[in-house]
Amino acid sequence: MKIIKALLSSLVALMLVISLNTKLGDVPPAGKFFDPFRGFWKNAESKKINAERALKIEGLKGTVEIKFDERMVPHIFADNNYDLYFAQGYITAKDRLWQMDFQTRFAAGRLSEVVGPKAIELDRYQRRMGMSYGAENMVKVMMKDPEIKAGLEAYAAGVNAYIHSLKPGDYPIEFKLLNYMPEDWQPINSALLLKLMSATLAGGSNEFYMSNILNKYGPEVTKDLFPDYPFREDPIIPEGTKWDFKPLPLPPAPVILGKNTTAYQVKTRELEEGIGSNNWAVSGAKSASGYPLLANDPHLDITLPAIWYQIQLASGGMNVCGVSIPGAPGVIIGFNKDAAWGVTNVGADVLDWYTIKFKDDSKKEYWYDNKWNPVKIRVETITVKGGKTVTDSVFYTHHGPVVYTSEQRPDNFSKINNIPTGHALRWVAHDGSNDVRTFLMLNRAKNYADYRKALTYYSAPAQNFVFASVENDIAITPNGYFPLKWKGQGKFLLDGSDPANDWHGRIPAEQNPTVKNPPRNFVSSANESLTDQSYPYYINWEFAPYERARRINTRLAVMTRANVDSLRNMQNDNYSILAENILPVLVSLVDSEKLNASEREGYDIVSKWNKFFNADEIGASIFELWHKNLAKQMWEDDLGDPKVPMRYPSRDRNVELFLNEPDSHWFDNVHTAGKETRSDLVNAAFKFAIDSLERKYGPVDTDWQWGNLKHTFVPHLAKVAGFGSKFLNNGGSKSAVNAMSENNGPSWRMIVALGKDVKAYGVFPGGQSGNPGSPYYDDMIITWSEGKLNELIYLKSKDDKQKGIISTWKLAKS
Amino acid sequence: MLFLIILAICFVFQLFLPWWIIAPLAFGAAFWKARSGGHAFRSGFFAVFSLWIAVASFYSLRNGNILANRVGSLLNLPETTINWAIVLLITGIIGGLASGFCGLAGYYFRQALVVPEKARG
Repeated sequence: MKIIKALLSSLVALMLVISLNTKLGDVPPAGKFFDPFRGFWKNAESKKINAERALKIEGLKGTVEIKFDERMVPHIFADNNYDLYFAQGYITAKDRLWQMDFQTRFAAGRLSEVVGPKAIELDRYQRRMGMSYGAENMVKVMMKDPEIKAGLEAYAAGVNAYIHSLKPGDYPIEFKLLNYMPEDWQPINSALLLKLMSATLAGGSNEFYMSNILNKYGPEVTKDLFPDYPFREDPIIPEGTKWDFKPLPLPPAPVILGKNTTAYQVKTRELEEGIGSNNWAVSGAKSASGYPLLANDPHLDITLPAIWYQIQLASGGMNVCGVSIPGAPGVIIGFNKDAAWGVTNVGADVLDWYTIKFKDDSKKEYWYDNKWNPVKIRVETITVKGGKTVTDSVFYTHHGPVVYTSEQRPDNFSKINNIPTGHALRWVAHDGSNDVRTFLMLNRAKNYADYRKALTYYSAPAQNFVFASVENDIAITPNGYFPLKWKGQGKFLLDGSDPANDWHGRIPAEQNPTVKNPPRNFVSSANESLTDQSYPYYINWEFAPYERARRINTRLAVMTRANVDSLRNMQNDNYSILAENILPVLVSLVDSEKLNASEREGYDIVSKWNKFFNADEIGASIFELWHKNLAKQMWEDDLGDPKVPMRYPSRDRNVELFLNEPDSHWFDNVHTAGKETRSDLVNAAFKFAIDSLERKYGPVDTDWQWGNLKHTFVPHLAKVAGFGSKFLNNGGSKSAVNAMSENNGPSWRMIVALGKDVKAYGVFPGGQSGNPGSPYYDDMIITWSEGKLNELIYLKSKDDKQKGIISTWKLAKS
Repeated sequence: MLFLIILAICFVFQLFLPWWIIAPLAFGAAFWKARSGGHAFRSGFFAVFSLWIAVASFYSLRNGNILANRVGSLLNLPETTINWAIVLLITGIIGGLASGFCGLAGYYFRQALVVPEKARG
């Protein structure tokens, strides 16, 4: 009896301890996680910051001094460049190690290694898209450049020095939650992060949808609904700018535009506009100080830990300040005492799909240039935590990987809706490139010539690089590797057997569109068309709608004596040009006789609305639901075939149809017997908008306000509950300069005032620390949400005694 | 006494070893000192319960309970201002249960192995 009792109680105790030490599904090992000696409690950082710290670190060549300001931004002063990038790696890892690890794993298709079988399909997708393949090619090029190689290796050594200083109890909390360990950092990880930027900003494609539309409606209708130049535009390079170069001849287009797509059964989705970046520079002629001002707010899907990491880097003659990407050396957007620069996304067509004809089911050869050509097979091996290793063969043609053959394509994986089966992917992100050099050269740029030189090394994702210097030069250059194409090449799926469809080299870097010191005394970009129609090359047929650009340019044109505050005010401008364009017509078409009480109240509100998407505007909520539903009602019947994925025409084309073609047959719903008119749709959509709001929030009240409907917040990178931000009641809209939506918005706002003493201001939605247990995890979010900026401390030297430095670290070799 | 022994040795050993070291420690201490099953469990439970809450509080208080409140949301606790305290309590219970059951096992093990003095004759 006693023995049974002893054995039974021991068994219970043992089972309990084992289960508390085991990860069960998504639940971390509870004993390990709650253990205050090594579990999450150790990540509860003290609010008190030590004023001084001395560290001995193996691998440093000399000494480094790091000053932290009140937001824990590091200002790094090093004896040499090696130590500088070493210290950048070390200190970035201190704050962002898990984010760096997780994002690289995500990019490389290695998440299954740490989260198990649920990530297998995602990992397959990343690998089949050639993310690692591209990163490998990039590293090859970077490693041939001694200076870049040294920078990447110093950075990696710094990250690793930090990792090796950690005991398991010191690991960031997410490692404890997911129950895995950080691994050593390698230069390819930096490349993977840059590829991730390409995937986010230059990884979208429409050609599958476009080809389906072409097949259904033919070339005339397709051209009419999806024109090659918008109805209204305000291009980056001012209209009428002359091109002072002799262009290369354009490659000839093949005679027949292929009707060669096979439709694949997937769900149609409305094209989401994911970007909304702005930048501009005004010359001294327009500023109060007589020196240029530069502003930039790149928009991305915002997450915590924050996308950007603020940093100042000084060594030798260089002293640069701004934001970096955790995982890559240097400053990506920033300034030094002589110059400032910023970026917005170009949205060039640098991703094309080619129909591949294989010889037989073995897929060892494909037809190209009138002969069979060998396929290269790349085998991807995915290690799965708690599961069997998966191997996946990817067929590479000279175009690139065939992302999915029909046998390889998974069902129910929404991420791949726009990927045509059996097509090879030609993507600029697969090519080797040395983009890091561009940033390291901009970090040291003193003048316009340095800026132009730096840009020649840049490949992808193509960006509109805005520039201003203390010498009173301003400039903007849509820049990157733009393939030389015939007009419209890649608007539709391409026949992969015809050499005429290949990319024909590139547009020479110096012939990329650019403008310096234009007569209007400012330059700007907001993801819109790069040029007017006189530019001799084809870069893409569609860019973001012109609305933000129009608002920016209208305001800058009349601005005099500009200062930091006037530009900050513009970054937060919630005025909608879209509403200005269509709201008056919408309102005039509402049949006010037929409205019920709520509809009448809503109608009064939206008629009087000032067209600002401010947080407290109810009119903004009504308008947003109204025009979105209008587009849906207009196109769902024509382009919403669930068997053949298509897309809707652009907002610009919709506005044009609406204003100038009131009798268009597209207003009619083809599924009904009667004939619907523009006015029928407007009224139906209006009722829909009011009904939705009423169903969601009850009678008209403050709940209807735009900030509440939009419901912005910043989620955690791995969507861990409790690690994201709370709801942020702010304004903004995709059609306003402050292009804010639920989880997408300005990932960094910066304004630089050049002059004898450069002054800069900035903020991002998050904080310097990546630790949810740190007071510096989200300390800038409220400032950001309120549209305010912090002054960016820029120390002239390590002995510069500016106020606001709260801690100093001295690093020396051990 | 047993309570203090477990608390002290768990504190010292946890400085160097993973959390599960509390299992053999509670087992051994109860084996040695426990007077009854209830005594073994109570001492084991409250020793590690107190130890873990004390150490966790040390980290949490200097942190202003930022992380404890976030972990509260992670655990899907309803939004309150005392979530950090609930998370502390959960921490204590997890450690306490592991230690308590191991203490109990230690006591019963001794009961099974050691022949009562009377029977020795």
